Amino acid sequence: MKLPSERRISFVKGSFYGFLVLTVISWIYILAGSESGIEDFLSGRAWRNAGGFLKQLIGIDDSLTGGAQLAFLDLGRWIETAKLAYQTLLMSVLAISLAGVAVLLTFLPAARNVSNGDLGGMPLPALGVLYHLLRFIFAFTRAVPELVWAMLIVFFLSPGVLPGAIALALHNYGIVGRLSAEVVENMDPGPARSLRSAGASNLQMLAYGIIPQTMPQFLTYLLYRWEVVIRTTVVVGFVNAGGLGREFRLSLSFFQYTDVALLIMWYLILVVAVDVLSTVLRKMIRVD
Amino acid sequence: MIWTGPPSLRGVGRFVETRRLLSLVLIGALVWSVASVGWGDGVIHTGGSDALKAFILGLFPPEISPDFLKVVVAATWQTLVHAVAAITLAIVVGLPLGIVASGALGSPGRARLAVAGTFRFGLAVMRSIHELVWAMLFVTAFGLSSIAVVLAIAIPYAGILGRIYSELLNDVPDAPLAGLRSSGASPARVLLYGRIPMVFTDILGYTFYRFECALRAAAIMSFVGIRGLGFEIQMSLHDLRFNEVWTLLLVLVGLVLLVDYWSGRVRRNIQS
Repeated sequence: MKLPSERRISFVKGSFYGFLVLTVISWIYILAGSESGIEDFLSGRAWRNAGGFLKQLIGIDDSLTGGAQLAFLDLGRWIETAKLAYQTLLMSVLAISLAGVAVLLTFLPAARNVSNGDLGGMPLPALGVLYHLLRFIFAFTRAVPELVWAMLIVFFLSPGVLPGAIALALHNYGIVGRLSAEVVENMDPGPARSLRSAGASNLQMLAYGIIPQTMPQFLTYLLYRWEVVIRTTVVVGFVNAGGLGREFRLSLSFFQYTDVALLIMWYLILVVAVDVLSTVLRKMIRVD
Repeated sequence: MIWTGPPSLRGVGRFVETRRLLSLVLIGALVWSVASVGWGDGVIHTGGSDALKAFILGLFPPEISPDFLKVVVAATWQTLVHAVAAITLAIVVGLPLGIVASGALGSPGRARLAVAGTFRFGLAVMRSIHELVWAMLFVTAFGLSSIAVVLAIAIPYAGILGRIYSELLNDVPDAPLAGLRSSGASPARVLLYGRIPMVFTDILGYTFYRFECALRAAAIMSFVGIRGLGFEIQMSLHDLRFNEVWTLLLVLVGLVLLVDYWSGRVRRNIQS
């Protein structure tokens, strides 16, 4: 017979050793596997290849382009690709907007203290079902990666910015939805309960008791996710979803490596711009 | 929290002003993005709704023939192995970088600030490029191999873990640390006996979350040609075998939820 505290400690210990064993097996499996590529790294072949690729990327070695102008020194190419960068930015904003609106519409019933009537309202059995359903939808949409969502969606929707944005929105809906529901669960129930005892309607409670407490946190999560989404837009672009990603993949497969370098520069510009903008907006949320 | 507290009287004007500007910017972004989509020219492509119907019907039932399940198990194992290798490499690289970037080591001064700043910038560069973009570059540079894929995941993940570790270690309340310092502990000991124990569960929780992300990342590495769950999803989609796609999706979701549950249980057991 073990004490509960001993059982807890042995679970943590077991988890630790279990993960350690898994780590060792994984590394052995990878290094011993036929396609590990470790020989290439040890013999230096991989590094020589990488050096050659890097030279082509920055245009020192122009044997592939036949001495054509380097794409990232060509103002015309910058202007041509600016449209793609704009599309990529648009896709990220659309994705976050769609995810945000969807979360706003569904995060309340997904909070346990709302569904069981703890904050006022009726503890209807239907609400309990809705709670579990929404939690499952959050888990499912979150667990499927953006790129897989995109592969599925390009089956149904015409190529363009929209399928990519929907793929990104689905994954982020699950993440932000769960976090927002948890904010409601962890919030101070005082204001909502006082409003209830003063005879406020459900709508009034929502407007004055719940939204003011949860909104700043919700927007902060959304802006954090925007920083992640802008990095991922390129990836969903790989499957014909428009923007820089598609062009990146095409340039790579046509060996136009200085174009690849140009697109990476655009990508980094967008990432930094969104990080800065998101930081400014998050500071505005916290002003009081 | 923020909107309920009475703002300081002098700040009321600034508060209302900022709120209004913020709402305007956010609503503007929403309207701009929704309006810029070409809604008119056929959002659903020809045959799209039939494909959607076939896809949904594929769930009833998902493919569970023994032959296919063997494929699923092999793919799941591949994905798991790559994810475990990538996250362990990311921890081994990210933890020391994060500790240096937090500025917890060394004596206070300009040199320490400069070193911490440099490391923070390095971490930012590592994580600013998505793991699949790293993978495409690495596969072109090194050739297709497991190591290239593991490196591609581990680099941005080390950047993210390093940043989070450094922020967690920095946000520790100073009082207990001052106690350690006054009894003559060196910065390394303050870190080991003060900072790290205080944020250990947070570090663990975030690392587990990143492991969950690494599983997803390993799954989509199929895109550069590595076998795994994503590879099989791609193959089944290509052959329009939607019931197989569902089986693979459900296994991926199950794997991610399992890690989520494991993480929650470990953290609860440590905290209580």
